[in-house]
Amino acid sequence: MLIHPGSNPLTSSYRLLLLPTIFLLALSLISISIGVGDFSFSHLWADNDDADVWQLLVISRLPRTLALILSGMTLAVAGLIMQMLVRNRFVEPSTAGTIESATLGILLVTLIAPDTPVFIKMLVAGAFSMMGTLVFMALLSRVPLRSPYLVPLIGLVLGGVVLACTTFVAYRFDLVQSLHAWTIGDFSGVLQGRYELLWIGLLLALLACFAADRFTVAGMGEAFTTNLGLNHRALTLFGLLVVSGISATVVITSGNIPFLGLIVPNIVSLLFGDNMRQSIPWVALLGGTFVLLCDIIGRLIYYPYEIPIGTVVGVIGSILFLTILFGRRNRA
Amino acid sequence: MNQTARSFRSTLPRFRQSLLVLLSLSTLSFASHAETISVQHAQGTAQVPIKPAKVVVFDLATLDTLRTLNIADVVIGVPETPYPKHLSHFQEASYTRVGSLFEPNYEVVNQLKPELVIVGGRSGPKQPDLAKLAPTIDLTVNQENPVSNVDSNVRLLGKIFDKEAAAEAELKKMHDAIAALKQKASGAGTGLIVLTTGGKMSAYGPGSRFGIIHDVFGFKPAVTDLKESNHGQAISFEFILKTNPDWIFVVDRDVAIGSEGQSAAKLLDNALVRKTNAWKKQQVVYLDSFNWYLLASAGLTAMQENIQQLSDAVSAHQHH
Repeated sequence: MLIHPGSNPLTSSYRLLLLPTIFLLALSLISISIGVGDFSFSHLWADNDDADVWQLLVISRLPRTLALILSGMTLAVAGLIMQMLVRNRFVEPSTAGTIESATLGILLVTLIAPDTPVFIKMLVAGAFSMMGTLVFMALLSRVPLRSPYLVPLIGLVLGGVVLACTTFVAYRFDLVQSLHAWTIGDFSGVLQGRYELLWIGLLLALLACFAADRFTVAGMGEAFTTNLGLNHRALTLFGLLVVSGISATVVITSGNIPFLGLIVPNIVSLLFGDNMRQSIPWVALLGGTFVLLCDIIGRLIYYPYEIPIGTVVGVIGSILFLTILFGRRNRA
Repeated sequence: MNQTARSFRSTLPRFRQSLLVLLSLSTLSFASHAETISVQHAQGTAQVPIKPAKVVVFDLATLDTLRTLNIADVVIGVPETPYPKHLSHFQEASYTRVGSLFEPNYEVVNQLKPELVIVGGRSGPKQPDLAKLAPTIDLTVNQENPVSNVDSNVRLLGKIFDKEAAAEAELKKMHDAIAALKQKASGAGTGLIVLTTGGKMSAYGPGSRFGIIHDVFGFKPAVTDLKESNHGQAISFEFILKTNPDWIFVVDRDVAIGSEGQSAAKLLDNALVRKTNAWKKQQVVYLDSFNWYLLASAGLTAMQENIQQLSDAVSAHQHH
């Protein structure tokens, strides 16, 4: 018995994944080959005793490229999960107070106990972003939502309030510049041993993949979910845990990458609809690709100096975001 | 009798009034008789009184210089900011807080009725507004020729406060120290200035806010094409390895959250930086970030301490 290829939309979309995967790998090779140090792939296999090239690859180039892919993938998935849970297309960690709360957590722990290991700092940041997101959800349940645009607006207002508190504390302790370094994503400091927390984010994103079908159900509303015998509350909490964890790992490693969790899932949903299990690999791949591309641009424009990726994504992302916004309006 | 009493009663207030007018006139003439001089500052000229006794200072470098010249007791108002060790007594409650380094609290300044206000650097742009309340001079040090600016500022303060001999003596000390450092630095190899904050780094070159290291003290820059930018250029560790400087001068911006140079040292201690000449020869110098960052090395003591630190660092290695 032969199953006709393409008869199952799921397998056909998985087959389509081959192309973006190859594209991502190609970009990774480009990303690895860019940098100030003397490095080329031909040197790696050249018959010389030059250990420096290998060292550069292992210590600097590979970690940076991996960190970029991991952050891009996980942040995009985090955005997708939030959009499912809140049932709103314009929500992502930086439009729900999540990122701002994580930053506040990092600032406080840095001030109170500067020598705290990074892993503990990440846990504190995660706890803060969880609390911030819970406040956001609580606000949503109390406000009559007449327009889908109101949801991200509430999130932006909440984020603004949290950011104001953070800035006030930073200002008092002369840390405003350090705060900027945490809020604007930048991978220039990534080296072997300084990005590995991002793998925790990947683990969380994978967990979310396994629960993808459930999130799709949760996205249809509390009553519907309960009717199907699923615990909506537990599912929401799990989703928030994943989102907060991912936000914390990214903010503590590189700083925030704005718009990412918003643009990527929106593009994917325009292409494939709202089945999360189907769209999650696309979201992850596109997220990684987008971040890689933006970092390559930021490193090349001003070579040998860098433009932080947060700035590059901010510019490209806002243009894409507006395009999506107007596109959706016209379709609706 | 009744009439005389009445007339007396009516003349009394009038008499009192005229007395008051007379008094106020005399104080007015007294004020106008106080000596003033016309001085040139960064934003033009101003009429300032000689030896003012009530001075509000927004510029830390000026506070430093006033303290070095032993005229700090005229200061009544200072900004709310962290203070370096040698200026810590300005933190005492007896000094009125007059705003931040950037933003004056005009109400408070007005209440203090200062005879002179001094701004500079971060507070420089507020000179025109403050000048409406009291004579205000801007002692901002221009990064293009920092030393001649320090010269003229110190001389100006010496003139206003009648301490010209002391000012000249301090300046001579400074110029001698610079000349001595220059001689040592010229053969010490190349240097790269790196500012670290929040786990990120940026590089500064000649002509920048820390460019005095190259421009005046004479360390050869490891990179010559660094564009001037107030916030430096973002760089990676590979950049440091590639330029391979003999000296790395580090300004640790996060000093507020740890001891001097600690977080920067942690950031720089990695396989790439360890391969640079500077790291191998232990020629990574953690600059006093208060003196460099907050005072922009424009105060007399800050400048002297900065020269001393670099001079000590170079001598320590020349003996080897």
